[in-house]
Amino acid sequence: MDLRAFLRRTAMSRPAVLVVTLPGATRLRLEVEAELRRREWPVVGAPAAADLLVVCGDPAAQGAWPEWLDDIERSMPEPAARAVMGESARVGGALDAGRGEVTGRAVAPRGDGGRHEDRAAPSGDGHHRPADHAEHMDHAEHMDHHASHMDHQDHSPGGHMDHTGHMDHAGHDMHAMADIAGLPMAERADDRDELRLDRLHVPIGPGLTDWPTGLILRLALQGDVVQGVEVDHLPVPPAHRPPFWDEPWLRAARGEEVTRGGAARRRCAAHLDSAGRLLAVVGWDDVAAPFRRLRDELLAGASRTEVAGEVHRTVRRVGRSRVLRWSIAGLGRLPADTARAAGVSGPALAATGDAYDRLLMWLGEIERGLEVLDDTRPLAPDDRTGPRGRLDGPRPPSQALLDVLPDLLTGVEFACARIVVASLDPDLDELALAPVTGAAHA
Amino acid sequence: MPENAPVWAIVVLPVALAVAAVVTAGFDAVLSGAAGRGHAGGIRRAGRRAATPVREALRLLVQQPRRTTAADRLLGRLGVVLVPVAAVLAGAVLPWGFRAVSDPSVGVVWFNAMEALAWAAVWLAGWGPNSALSLISGYRFLAQGLAYELPHMFALTTAALGAESLRVGDVVAAQEGVWFVVWMPVAFAAYLLSALAMAFWGPFAHPLARDAAGGAAAELAGVDRLVFLGGRWLLLVVTAGFSVPLFLGGGHGPLLPGWAWTLLKTAAVLALLVILRRALPVLRMERYMEAAWMVLVPLTLLQALFVAVVVLNR
Amino acid sequence: MFDDVIFWSLAMLAVAAGVMVFRFDSMARATYALLLSLLCVGGEVLLLGLDYLGVVIVLMMTIEMAIMAVFMVMYMMNPAGLMPMTMIHNKRGAAVICAVVFAALAAGILLTPWPARRGRASADPTMDLGMSLMGPQMLTMMTLGLALFATIVVTVVLATRRGRYDRFGDDLKARTADDPVRGGVGR
Repeated sequence: MDLRAFLRRTAMSRPAVLVVTLPGATRLRLEVEAELRRREWPVVGAPAAADLLVVCGDPAAQGAWPEWLDDIERSMPEPAARAVMGESARVGGALDAGRGEVTGRAVAPRGDGGRHEDRAAPSGDGHHRPADHAEHMDHAEHMDHHASHMDHQDHSPGGHMDHTGHMDHAGHDMHAMADIAGLPMAERADDRDELRLDRLHVPIGPGLTDWPTGLILRLALQGDVVQGVEVDHLPVPPAHRPPFWDEPWLRAARGEEVTRGGAARRRCAAHLDSAGRLLAVVGWDDVAAPFRRLRDELLAGASRTEVAGEVHRTVRRVGRSRVLRWSIAGLGRLPADTARAAGVSGPALAATGDAYDRLLMWLGEIERGLEVLDDTRPLAPDDRTGPRGRLDGPRPPSQALLDVLPDLLTGVEFACARIVVASLDPDLDELALAPVTGAAHA
Repeated sequence: MPENAPVWAIVVLPVALAVAAVVTAGFDAVLSGAAGRGHAGGIRRAGRRAATPVREALRLLVQQPRRTTAADRLLGRLGVVLVPVAAVLAGAVLPWGFRAVSDPSVGVVWFNAMEALAWAAVWLAGWGPNSALSLISGYRFLAQGLAYELPHMFALTTAALGAESLRVGDVVAAQEGVWFVVWMPVAFAAYLLSALAMAFWGPFAHPLARDAAGGAAAELAGVDRLVFLGGRWLLLVVTAGFSVPLFLGGGHGPLLPGWAWTLLKTAAVLALLVILRRALPVLRMERYMEAAWMVLVPLTLLQALFVAVVVLNR
Repeated sequence: MFDDVIFWSLAMLAVAAGVMVFRFDSMARATYALLLSLLCVGGEVLLLGLDYLGVVIVLMMTIEMAIMAVFMVMYMMNPAGLMPMTMIHNKRGAAVICAVVFAALAAGILLTPWPARRGRASADPTMDLGMSLMGPQMLTMMTLGLALFATIVVTVVLATRRGRYDRFGDDLKARTADDPVRGGVGR
């Protein structure tokens, strides 16, 4: 083996991984995250930084093969590979195979005429399917092409002069053009000070990290201010198993034997997962990471004595942080009556406040849950309060959380919008819940 | 009186800064690893974690850079390259002991001017790839710049005022007795905060934040990413290192030679920043901006006033 | 000799970058071409031995152009200059004005009877320049500075749509301001 091949192989011995989860694959996501942590592979948040795309869940269950997945893969730099974790796949084996593919490509790169080139030439091939051009952008938004780059709709030179005074479009024939290089341009609309400025339509999700699985927000952005929100999501296939985080309560409702300790364990893990996401979005990896580790230890069956100490320590650390409070207090204020009217139940209703209050509510439930972790009494069959709210309501609790999103997000800045979403953390797996609950009632 | 270093120092400087950056990043990786994966439990594993920056660099070298559709590649590249270049140019006035590669009469202003290039660099890197999230993040850095730059300038001015000179060598010489940090603690704290902000690292990493999929670096791959992110570590080392001649007495200290004191103090400041960073989430600029202008600017101005009065009366 | 080479290279680069400001069809490129031009001017000032002024030009112009780029492209959200636009407006008029101004300045340079140097160059030209500009008129300069600053503040205050009554209610009794985005001090 020559030196160059050796170096390339060594370099890719720990490929950077971008994890994309499809609805219904929460369990797989958790397994993958635990395995990646064990292997100490870097986990990245954008396709440009990734070598290996790990898809948790079965893309075929999405109906048509999701094109956005291909776009994400296309926007990854060489050498790039994809590893799909099917429902029954062994995570470790799939990761090894993925790494094998990446190292193989690194050692024997595809010729210059490979993917790289064809995506570099934006219009050389003459066909302008948006998907062909979108790769690049999407990365960020990981989702649909059309959107990310937005545009201008009002190309009249006059319009532009109003706003900038001294420039006009090159060749005034521009306004006939709807897009440039196959990308739609920004349109214009009033901003919050009633100035007419560019407004860009950017879809975000579902490929973002620390983002509710499958959620897509179609944002209208001015600068980084969210001026409009449309909530959408990937198709949630009817699951043959109940949503992962609600499983103990639904099984108990179905008459199965579930212990209180088991339910508390799942609730703690769910809140650790949500809090970990929120803290990662806030940019405090130093506590987000232990939360995730503790979540996996809990799910793996760690006893109370094993985890309680570190959970309390980390929770106290978060609760005591004044900077965190200063940073996120006041974001996404959801008063109790608004929440109740929207059908929100669970921690988001009980917190009756902003993102920070909801975080504290999670932390409080985690600490309370730890107390009953070893309780072996059976869960009362009429206890239907899952981690995100009451499962016996007319709609799944996460649907209510999705419903309050547009009001909470309109007018806030992009960074705040991410924090607000993370502080509600809807679980889209629950959207497939309605029939399951029905069955439970029957 | 400090003197200029020999010519070969020009070659040594970038290498030394890079080594310092790798060591700092390695230390950070060890601490991150302990937080995320539990304590290393063994020198071997800790060592492997410390080698993370080197392994990452190698990985990025193997990864190929990519282009995005309809990108402004000229400006994007420029932004990427400008980060390490600005860091090294700023490092030219950094005294190693009592010698710097260059010690111009306006060294402090030169340092600030080179840091200001980072303003342009991050915005350009965010603008170049033609992607909404990286553009938003490029704008974020300018907001950050507006928040940190004034307290930063006042902190620099205060140190220069104390020495009555803009020459870095004179600032060091003026601290032969009492270090400036003793009678300018506010300026020192404001300087450290803005040093982090300037390197857009740690609590000030908002322009590269995870919530925007990596922000200004979201579209960078391969060697572009390595140069940009590596340049960021260089900037951190240089800005943290500059607090030593400004406030911590430069090479002054008992027993050890000047270069050793510089090294020790720089390492201490970097370690402090890397450790303190763990206690803080990323600060969002709409919050920090108001705090900077309403609290930090008046405080640093008062500090400068105090120093000016002391200097006039001595 | 070496100084001549640097002088002419910087000069040519400054002019070329200046021309490019009007040739580029992207706001961002035009802005940064202007910055390059100004950085070259800063280099020329350094060459004159005015270290402080030269470096300050580099510092201020970098920050100014970075901010100007934002104002120019602010909320024009097509990244990477996707929407090309020309930087030239009123071409003929602008050309005439430029030509006349250039001719006048060049004539001034060439026709002025420049005095020969008397005495030696000063050791610290920045200090001397500052003293001759400001020395006897320090009070005037300070007043001017304050007046300029006050003007900036007043302009912003007048231009702001929302006043304290919008923020704190008609009786100014609200505990927290009603702002679209909350700041970090909690006024």
